[in-house]
Amino acid sequence: MIAEIQIPTVIEEGIVIAITGYAIVFVALLLLYYLFSSLSKFLTWQIKQNLIKSGRFPKHIKKEDSLHISGETAAAIAMAIYLCRDLHDDESNVLTIKKISKVYSPWSSKIYGINKWSKSPR
Amino acid sequence: MNRSYRKAFTVAAAIIVLFVVQTLLHQTHSFAAPLSVSSSADTGTSVLNFGGEVLNGIQKFISFTGFRNASSGNLIMIAVGLLFIFLAIRFDYEPLLLVPIGTGIIIGNIPFFQDGGVNLQLGIYQQGSVLNYLYYGVVKGIYPPLIFLGIGAMTDFSSLISNPRLILLGAAAQVGIFLTFLGALFLGFSMPEAGAIGIIGGADGPTAIFLSSKLANGSIVHGLQTKNLIGPIAIAAYSYMALVPVIQPPVMRLLTNKKERKIRMKPTRAVSKREKIIFPIVALILTTFISPGALPLLGMLFFGNLLKESGVTKRLADTARTSLIDIVTILLGLTVGASTQADVFLTPQSILIFVLGALSFVVATAGGVIFAKVMNLFSSGDNKINPLIGAAGVSAVPDSARVVQTEGLRYDPSNHLLMHAMAPNVAGVIGSAVAAGIMMSFLM
Repeated sequence: MIAEIQIPTVIEEGIVIAITGYAIVFVALLLLYYLFSSLSKFLTWQIKQNLIKSGRFPKHIKKEDSLHISGETAAAIAMAIYLCRDLHDDESNVLTIKKISKVYSPWSSKIYGINKWSKSPR
Repeated sequence: MNRSYRKAFTVAAAIIVLFVVQTLLHQTHSFAAPLSVSSSADTGTSVLNFGGEVLNGIQKFISFTGFRNASSGNLIMIAVGLLFIFLAIRFDYEPLLLVPIGTGIIIGNIPFFQDGGVNLQLGIYQQGSVLNYLYYGVVKGIYPPLIFLGIGAMTDFSSLISNPRLILLGAAAQVGIFLTFLGALFLGFSMPEAGAIGIIGGADGPTAIFLSSKLANGSIVHGLQTKNLIGPIAIAAYSYMALVPVIQPPVMRLLTNKKERKIRMKPTRAVSKREKIIFPIVALILTTFISPGALPLLGMLFFGNLLKESGVTKRLADTARTSLIDIVTILLGLTVGASTQADVFLTPQSILIFVLGALSFVVATAGGVIFAKVMNLFSSGDNKINPLIGAAGVSAVPDSARVVQTEGLRYDPSNHLLMHAMAPNVAGVIGSAVAAGIMMSFLM
């Protein structure tokens, strides 16, 4: 004979609250999940349409997922752009050689390279 | 002898000395004449009377000192405060929380004259004291939403937006809240008190304070007289949050095998600015429509995040994530610590709350890890989830994510799980706030 287990009313009520509450938390976050999965797909679709309109959509891409780039790839591209653009000064890329009137310059003149105190080789 | 042992020995010796002095003073007081607060009516000039007045004055002074009024409970709590400060400084366990809370515990347990209903306006529970005014922010649930504003302004939801299915891990880990709620009911706590205790399982200090200030503040809630459990619940929540690196790893190892711990997850995709701006607005509307009770917390969380992501309110976002959150953390930590006044805090209920709190963290961690394994049954190839990140479903941000990263690196030194773990971690913050709102709507 199985003895009947008496559960106090408070506990019974508590079990109902716990199950309902947990279910509501799950539903709330499940809705967020579906919403943001859909939002991501919608935004990708929008990008694809814009690219198709402007004729820049690569034909070899079939799945929309391929339009996503990973954070690592994005970081590598950002680094490359930074190294290319920001690390160097902007220059005009025009070389100008001006002829100066003064012909003689002491620069690299041999007389200045001679040191009277230098030791002569033995 | 080891240096740290010597320090611990010194602290213990100081406490014993305080205890002995206090006991002696209690004994001497029983032999002394009863104190009268008002001065003697006899204003005679005899030397004997003058001596009596002096003695009376000294005795009155002694009756007001901490040595005279100290109880063993005060000394125990001061030792706990010192332990918190030690853990924060020596082991770097949540120092931003444990140093203010530890100091608050010491401040709250400095003994003072309280007999005969005399209100010196010193203690945190005495009307009109400075600490009482500061504690108002805890009792009325003002500080937690401000903390959430700062958290929102410093949180990057990209990892969650890029892989939304990880949100479910944040929901799964909330099982800790509801099982602890049932556990508290079994142990004889009333329904509102059990709800407030259960939220410790969310591993979120501000949420725990917010809910306990509504459900277990010593007033009548749901037709039942509740006890003031704000102090024990807050201390339990913050203590276990600091101990996340100690509590979680054994549970994670117990529930996973080596192969599972080495699973590599595919890198998250880059998230556009538009998605980052839409997220707080949509999440705010959706979650608060479902659980309006969570409005003060989630409203401020997503408002803070919008300040960050909009890109046009940089100054406001900077203030929210630096100065504002720092000020509120100082006030919250200090007053929560000071609320542990021994005569209010040291009760059998507090011990039960601490036991339930520890179990709730274990259950929440297990819930997240097991759910990640269940999700893997329905995933294949690149989409497999490393079940360790399930442990980050508890909302101790970013500690549990850091624990996941450390555990992952232990088994594969090149497998970085931090960014993946941040998704369930921030989802856990949302989940625990939603759960708090649900508890309020059921129990208030």
